[in-house]
Amino acid sequence: MVYISSWDEFAERSIQLFRADPQSSRYVMKYRHCDGKLVLKVTDNRECLKFKTDQAQDARKMEKLNNIFFTLMARGPDVDISEVSGKEQSEAQPTKKGRGRKQ
Amino acid sequence: MVGSLAQPTHLPPYFKLRKVSSKSAREREREPSLFAFAMPDPFLNELTSMYERTTERGSVWVTLKRSSMKSKAKRNKMTSAGETIEYRCLVRATDGKKTISTVLSAKDHLRFQASYATILKAHMSALKKRERRDKKKAGDGQTKQEDLKKPPKKSSS
Repeated sequence: MVYISSWDEFAERSIQLFRADPQSSRYVMKYRHCDGKLVLKVTDNRECLKFKTDQAQDARKMEKLNNIFFTLMARGPDVDISEVSGKEQSEAQPTKKGRGRKQ
Repeated sequence: MVGSLAQPTHLPPYFKLRKVSSKSAREREREPSLFAFAMPDPFLNELTSMYERTTERGSVWVTLKRSSMKSKAKRNKMTSAGETIEYRCLVRATDGKKTISTVLSAKDHLRFQASYATILKAHMSALKKRERRDKKKAGDGQTKQEDLKKPPKKSSS
């Protein structure tokens, strides 16, 4: 199985994989409470990327990735990912304020 | 069922041939798929109970896929006719025995992902938290401080 050890690499490659073929790509999450293990899989039926963890911190990262995938799937693969936490939005706002009234 | 087929005489008795009971297959077809695309809220409720049921044993699989919910033929027709195809997010969950699913449109997904994140946070309690740092602080913290003190002393002497 193609297990990737780095979270960032997994996240980036899975997003690329989805963007390349949004019609056949899927994102699967398997959770076993009895073993305390979480496995994530992203595949387009040709290539498969997996990530296995038992760390709670990875669960938080996974939630962010979930949000990214939800956005990609619902709105389309060409949507700019604002990382949901609104990093790009927060960057955009101050500049707008700057262009606005100077107080 | 057993009597309807000629039993093989050359095989030991436990190799009894059984007609694959077509009844069960038919029953399976007739069974209404209970959660054929439920609304997001009942889906979330059922997902919560799924997580609760599998604490001692078993896994929960959640699959996310983009789908237009239309057949390929219709999709091709729509693209050739110039109509925009509306895509949705298909979410499936299973505990190995029961499968539930729901379909989200672009406006549903924001509300769904918030509730979904809450459910996951609440139930993924079996994952290990970073205890190493805490243990080091508690047990080895003193020795570490001593180690830190030593090198500067050595350098000064």
